[in-house]
Amino acid sequence: MKSKILALLGSALISGTAMAGGYQVNLASQRQIGMGHTGTGLLTGTSSIFFNPGAMSHIGYSGITIGGSALVSKIAYSAPESGGVTARTDNPLGTPFQVYGVYNINEKFSAGLGVYTPFGSTVNWGDEWNGRFGLNQLKLQAIYVQPTVSYAITDKLGIGVGLSYVIGSVNLQRSLPVQNQDGTEGGIELDGGAESAFGFNAGIFFQPTEKFSIGVNYRSRVDLKVEGGDVMFSNIPMAARANFPEGANFDAELPMPSTLSVGIGFKPNERLTLAADISHVGWDAYEKLRFDFSQNVAGSPFSEAARNYDNAFIYRIGGEYMVNDALALRAGAYLDQTPVQDGYLTPETPDSDSRGLSAGIGYSVSENISIDASFLYINKKERTDAANLSGGVAGTYKSVAYIPGIGLNFKF
Amino acid sequence: MKKFFYKSSVLALMAGIFLTSCDPEIDVANPSSGELNLTKYVAVGNSLTAGYADGGLYREGQLSSFPALMAQQFETAGGGSFVQPLFTEAQANGSGYLKLTGFNPPAAPGASPSPILTPVTTNLAVRTDVAPLPGGPRLTKFTDPVNNYAVPGMSVLSSATPIYGGVNPHFDRLLADAEVGSKSYIAKVAESQPTFFTLWLGNNDVLTYATNGAVVNPTNPFSDKTPVATFKAIYTSLLGALAKGGEVEGVVANIPDVAATPFFTTVTLDAIRKSAGMSDLKVYIRVAEGPTGVRELGEGDLVLLTTQAAIGRVDQVAPGVSIPHGFHPANPLTDSEVLDKDEVAEVRAHTQELNKVIAEVAAANKIPVFDVNKFFTERFARPFVQNGVPYSSAFITGNVFSLDGIHLTPRGNAIVANEFIRVINSNYNTNIPLVDETQYRAVLLP
Repeated sequence: MKSKILALLGSALISGTAMAGGYQVNLASQRQIGMGHTGTGLLTGTSSIFFNPGAMSHIGYSGITIGGSALVSKIAYSAPESGGVTARTDNPLGTPFQVYGVYNINEKFSAGLGVYTPFGSTVNWGDEWNGRFGLNQLKLQAIYVQPTVSYAITDKLGIGVGLSYVIGSVNLQRSLPVQNQDGTEGGIELDGGAESAFGFNAGIFFQPTEKFSIGVNYRSRVDLKVEGGDVMFSNIPMAARANFPEGANFDAELPMPSTLSVGIGFKPNERLTLAADISHVGWDAYEKLRFDFSQNVAGSPFSEAARNYDNAFIYRIGGEYMVNDALALRAGAYLDQTPVQDGYLTPETPDSDSRGLSAGIGYSVSENISIDASFLYINKKERTDAANLSGGVAGTYKSVAYIPGIGLNFKF
Repeated sequence: MKKFFYKSSVLALMAGIFLTSCDPEIDVANPSSGELNLTKYVAVGNSLTAGYADGGLYREGQLSSFPALMAQQFETAGGGSFVQPLFTEAQANGSGYLKLTGFNPPAAPGASPSPILTPVTTNLAVRTDVAPLPGGPRLTKFTDPVNNYAVPGMSVLSSATPIYGGVNPHFDRLLADAEVGSKSYIAKVAESQPTFFTLWLGNNDVLTYATNGAVVNPTNPFSDKTPVATFKAIYTSLLGALAKGGEVEGVVANIPDVAATPFFTTVTLDAIRKSAGMSDLKVYIRVAEGPTGVRELGEGDLVLLTTQAAIGRVDQVAPGVSIPHGFHPANPLTDSEVLDKDEVAEVRAHTQELNKVIAEVAAANKIPVFDVNKFFTERFARPFVQNGVPYSSAFITGNVFSLDGIHLTPRGNAIVANEFIRVINSNYNTNIPLVDETQYRAVLLP
């Protein structure tokens, strides 16, 4: 019994969200990253706040988890018929993080608070590549704060729901195709914080036997809206300034899509836990990227580019093996379908089907403290696209990401 | 315990260093010259090949001429060096050119602001030590062997005659003193012995006539349309001298449509009316001699870009009678200020005839043709977006055409170079990489 609890403890260590399809970042728990980010059908410890609030009332203790990942992502680009790699991103280190706290009120009820980062993207192409009029750099952040309650209807069945309070921000920089007498190009920067938005995260957890468990989780769509964001111009030639007015503002909206997941857990013996998840991400919410301007920019009150994302599935498997009472080894893999249709590739998210491979380790320092470490490698399929429907940048893109992470679990 | 942390952190650190140093790669075919020998590429042509832009030939334009950009791409596939008759840094402004220095505010609400084009008159390569030629003042010579033999103003007709070196200062510039007036352009380029060539000539066999409003200048024997039979005979000998019966490979390009350039499409009736602030203004043009030779400007008539400044100019047509130019039958736009509908048809028909000849002669020499006519009509004449930049044949804002409305910006040259490269790649089993056109400028704004 002790080993089982320790294993569960490990699961709670850290959450994060990884670079996944679109601008979703599935790195919500260091233990679960190690297991291919499965967890909907498992008792994942405090991170059940994210993976399945229905499981939270079954973890049987109070605890806190703090964790984070270091997301190193790299993208190579080859312009059409260029004979080589013509640009590479210089992305800053991404730092998705997770904090979960669960208070076990009694045998039936538990309450918790989670703070995590399920969406985001930072990509920096610089201002020299041939796609610079599409994008120099994009920084998109969303932070979810989710108070959650869970109720164990029976010792086999639990339900839970959390209210997600979402804050976010966006910063987008592009070159503008206007040139001064010395050849310098203009630039535009859109910068704004999103209005607070709300969503929910609900789940059901069912464990009919000691060996088998299943869960269903739904995280709702949240639309992040920026109102009155700043539009800043640089190096605009005098003759073109009327087209790029100082002091303009912008409004924009970006959907954080819904995710419906079903997961199962299986424990063939005391030491081994196996899990599989399928998620359906409602990417079709992202139809277009539109900026409405308070004053005409380049002669137009708005700028709009089609995105027309498709809904996508994510398939995950993972396992954990308890070497002894203190040490857990984990591994997992997943396949994340791209929501980006042909013709719609953009340099913001030059997405394609991605394969994730993960490994992790958990160690219980004491009854109350454990550590999880994970490593996830993401390899997206090389993708060539004309980008003729999204106003994107045609060419071939190839992305990989290396994501080490660490988390600490305290159990009370 | 300590040991465990130490070991695992060292391991993690090493794994991190190893993996993060792995950059993603993209497998693409390496540049290759296929069946071609690109060691000596020679470009033969007119102003478009020379890098002429903004109404002049100057160093910056030369540096971004499409053959120079092509040669730069050839170098990635074993191509040789490419020498151009560059003006020196000290004389970088060459023949002089036009610079956009500002905009006049719109003449009336709703009209476009009109550009102020100012001639650059410093650091020229214009010679004052010798008498000018019929085609203009002579320019500092560049008589070393070159790879870019393009001569602004050169036509197929003038390429055959030895006297042309004594007419056109750009040709004179490339000739030794003894060759001036004694060596034809064909003879000059045949001496260069290329292993690969591009030939884009013929525009001036119809466009000189078109840009003069279809009026022949009696003092310039090269200002009429070149007769088809003459064109064919000379073109055959010209291409023959370069291709040497199939021994030397190359690409020829044909003649673009007259109405595909902003020189002919910018000053529309609508634009004139907006400038005048009168939506029902009638504009009159002379289409023939005599009192019945004047009619209203209508659909299909093309007012030349250079006519713009003269429209509405108040002329004294008789003592005490002043009439704005073009606004009354008594002071119509002159024949040479407008390419009227019939003349457009005439120029188009002649262009098609000459393009047919180019296709025939090229086929006979087994040299592929870059159909510039089709490319300009289907690409530049319709707005398109590439790498996030809008392009069109609009004056100044279209990013393709330079300030003279006929010749290309460096960006336009890069786009044309890429089309030449595509023709080469699809005909010669080569893999010449394309130019990143965004690295070359469009129109610079004040």
